[in-house]
Amino acid sequence: MIKLLAPVIVLAALVAAVTLTDEPVPEADFTFINRGDVKTLDPQRMSWLQDLRIARLLYEPLVRLDVLHEDYPPIPGVARHWSVSDDGRTYTFFLRDDAAWSNGEPVTADHFVYAWRRGMLPDLGADYQTFFLLVEGAGDWAAWRSAATTRFAAESPGLAAPERRRRAEALWRETLERFDESVAMRAVGDRTLEITLEVPTPYFLDICGFISLCPVYEPVVSRYERVDPTTGLLKQELGWTKPGVCVTNGPFRLAKWRFKREMFFEKNEHWWAADTVALDTIAVPSIEDPNAAVLAFETGSVDWVSDVTVDYRIELARKKRELYEEHAGLVAELRATGKDVFAIDAALPDDPRKNFHVLPTFGTYWYNFNCQPRLPDGRANPFHDARVRRAFAMTVDKRSLVDEVLRVGNPVARTIVPPGSVAGYDAPRGLGCVSDAETDAEREAIVACARGLLADAGYADPGSFPTVDILFNKDAGHDLTAQAIAKNWQEHLGVSVTLAVKEIKVYADDLKNSNFMISRAGWFGDYADPTTFLDLNATGNGNNDRKYSSPEYDGLLAQAAAEPDPARRLDILEEAERLAVETDLPLIPLYHYVTPYLFDPDVVTGINPHPRATQDLYLVDILTDTKGPNRLLEIRSGDDYEKGLLPAASAGVAAARERSE
Amino acid sequence: MTGLVVRRLLQLPVILLVIYTLTLLLAWAIPGNPLENPEGRRPSAEVQEALKRQYNLDSFPRFYLSYLSSATGVSYAADWLSGDLAAEREEAEALGVAPPRRAVFDLGPSLQYNDWTVNEIVAGAMPVSVSLGLVAVLLALGLGVGAGVAGAVRPNSLIDLLTLVVALVGISLPSFVVGTLLLLALGVLVPALPVGGWGTLDRMVLPAVTLSLPFAAYIARLTRIGLVEAMTADYVRTARAKGLSERAVLVNHALKNAFLPVLSYLGPATALAVTGSFVVEKVFVVPGMGQHFVNAVLNKDLFLIMGVVLIFATLLVLMNLLVDVLYRWIDPRIE
Repeated sequence: MIKLLAPVIVLAALVAAVTLTDEPVPEADFTFINRGDVKTLDPQRMSWLQDLRIARLLYEPLVRLDVLHEDYPPIPGVARHWSVSDDGRTYTFFLRDDAAWSNGEPVTADHFVYAWRRGMLPDLGADYQTFFLLVEGAGDWAAWRSAATTRFAAESPGLAAPERRRRAEALWRETLERFDESVAMRAVGDRTLEITLEVPTPYFLDICGFISLCPVYEPVVSRYERVDPTTGLLKQELGWTKPGVCVTNGPFRLAKWRFKREMFFEKNEHWWAADTVALDTIAVPSIEDPNAAVLAFETGSVDWVSDVTVDYRIELARKKRELYEEHAGLVAELRATGKDVFAIDAALPDDPRKNFHVLPTFGTYWYNFNCQPRLPDGRANPFHDARVRRAFAMTVDKRSLVDEVLRVGNPVARTIVPPGSVAGYDAPRGLGCVSDAETDAEREAIVACARGLLADAGYADPGSFPTVDILFNKDAGHDLTAQAIAKNWQEHLGVSVTLAVKEIKVYADDLKNSNFMISRAGWFGDYADPTTFLDLNATGNGNNDRKYSSPEYDGLLAQAAAEPDPARRLDILEEAERLAVETDLPLIPLYHYVTPYLFDPDVVTGINPHPRATQDLYLVDILTDTKGPNRLLEIRSGDDYEKGLLPAASAGVAAARERSE
Repeated sequence: MTGLVVRRLLQLPVILLVIYTLTLLLAWAIPGNPLENPEGRRPSAEVQEALKRQYNLDSFPRFYLSYLSSATGVSYAADWLSGDLAAEREEAEALGVAPPRRAVFDLGPSLQYNDWTVNEIVAGAMPVSVSLGLVAVLLALGLGVGAGVAGAVRPNSLIDLLTLVVALVGISLPSFVVGTLLLLALGVLVPALPVGGWGTLDRMVLPAVTLSLPFAAYIARLTRIGLVEAMTADYVRTARAKGLSERAVLVNHALKNAFLPVLSYLGPATALAVTGSFVVEKVFVVPGMGQHFVNAVLNKDLFLIMGVVLIFATLLVLMNLLVDVLYRWIDPRIE
């Protein structure tokens, strides 16, 4: 018997040992669930939303966006103020004296040069490299470096190890020298940063507020760089983004990070505006399962779920609409006073239904047409003809898609740039579709028009039209959308449609190689300018999967880029978008994305409902605790910049305003 | 006995090499680009090329050999013997940079989680999965043997039927159903236990029970069948004839023999349980190993795939060896 029990006792002892050395997530002032697990805390390498959101806690860029203002205007960050040359190409940033790293050392202009150089360097693989390449000379420098390292990799196998190492290091030194000579970004003393752009870029300040352009602490990060003698590439060793090593310049510092467990942040007392921060600690537990996330909110262990993906979000959205209907009078009254949606929710009576928020987002879901003359298999491509693309676009019932398939409250999309998301930009009207019809007769007229377009293109008999193939990935309900649209086309155009569902990696490859007839796709804007969407349809753009190429469209984009008058420039861009969404239709805009949040507006304040969904979580205040002013933060408008939150630096704000006018 | 252990340990590298080769061939064939975020921005072609070169992803033979030598510690040993390691350290010290962090068995960086090495990921997840798995196996053993004995004592009685039904349900119901039901019952309706997370004993109860049920059901059946057969054996009749109490007959004679099939099942079962369950981890938000088996493949995170597969294979071989050793220890007749 002892023999039988012995293994059991050993097992039990092992378990006890392992369990006793573990510890749960600590309690924090504010706990939220991020959209997914953080992939990296290296600002220059990141591109996932969850990484960018965390980085906004840890790092501070030159300028910040006032996210509690309806226009997201740029306000001073590390730069106290800045000036722009008359030709709009040279920016001089004057850094604040009290900007400090989390170890107390001052933030200098050199740290920005170092960080931006990392971002430009092809070796690092920065997803947002294009932002850094706006700097004059950066593109040429990066191209030279790529060519030089490719050459090195070809030659290095024939060399002895010491010689290889010597050459790799010499190449790196040459790279640095060339950077200093040819890239127009320099530190003038510790506190002044001068940057000249390749071409005037009206939205450059907005990009300067993008987190990838934050400084990194050179004394630590450079210790983790090594020139690889085999490839000649600069290799970034891991380790500097971990607690205890990571030095940052933002409102919070990284206190704890256990992989797939949690991240924990503590207020950075060295941040220049630390006394305006109401929270002392923030916890981000890693909860991937959507149901578990909602459950964690309902049981009170989490304050904010930043992306609610449970299937029953449809139900949550319906209940929220019901709540608004029950209090229709009060809601209308509050809306009339210009209150933002969270302020309206806070004014409603206490009710769990009000904790669910569906917010329009700066992104659009669409269907791509392959616009090349031939399909991947060599057949003639019917969608090369813009008339065919128009006919297909007109016969999608977007309203039913949104109301009956998605059922969460997505706005129907007629354009690529979400309307109202870029200040000063009026989106074109866009091509109508069957769901615009108010009567059956109107509907039939639209269908007849679409059929007419097909006939003009040589497909009077729908039977002669090749079978249409829709490519999508199997996740997130794309199949339901594809089925609904396939049904529209079968019904209205009489064509046959097949669905090609693929794993996301395969789908992504097919998309990149334009290996499709029609495919599902979408895009979230990165900065406050229509070009963040419109560039995607430019000839030769790396993300132009449609391979749409129109000299007229490219010409309008070029004309806009050369236009010095901001208002006129936006008009030209509107013209370009009109061409894309009313005449050429390289894609069918279907709907604009929404982000569902879950938080109690009576408890959490400081989260904003702006479509760009940039959340600066150091602004959050828990209304029910003893810390911070505990008053509701409402979204401001007009000239009401950064009121009360941070000390104004009028020169910088005035300069920013001048540029935007 | 020593001969067996030595023989098995010598076989281990060969088995692992075969598994390594097959897995890498399959993993390499997964379509898609591991360096690209399908929903994110696409780095330029030059940047992609540079990254591929850096990770040896541009050549299968080079990847095969370099990963093999770093994962098995060969490259560490070579650098140590040649003095490169010491030179590297000295150089780092002279330059004032951090000395390179070199693991003896280096499973590489994760391509999906850029800030983490596979060694770090495994070091974080393994203790979680091992403790959860062992608790589950212990629970399964207790529940399974108990139920099996209860059924076997009175074959075809109501209790026997009941344990059969429960065992069948335990085997048939997938753990996402059992887990979710338990979560609803004990986490939400009667909030007796935390709904998820890790780090305290009470958080372990629900996932451990969920994980143990299929194993318990299987053990119950094995025990029951073995015991019913043993109870009719000659040595049991002899034991009864000696005048031993029914309890002593059951525990000291019948169960000891009936337990052997359970023991041989326990080896692979333990290996399976301690390397984590994707479903249980997902439902209860447990930061274990199971998720990496699935996510690594979906993301084509080559280093992570190879790392977790190699560790699982090693564990499986060692667990089977352990069971064989225990077998002989319990029943010396076996050779």
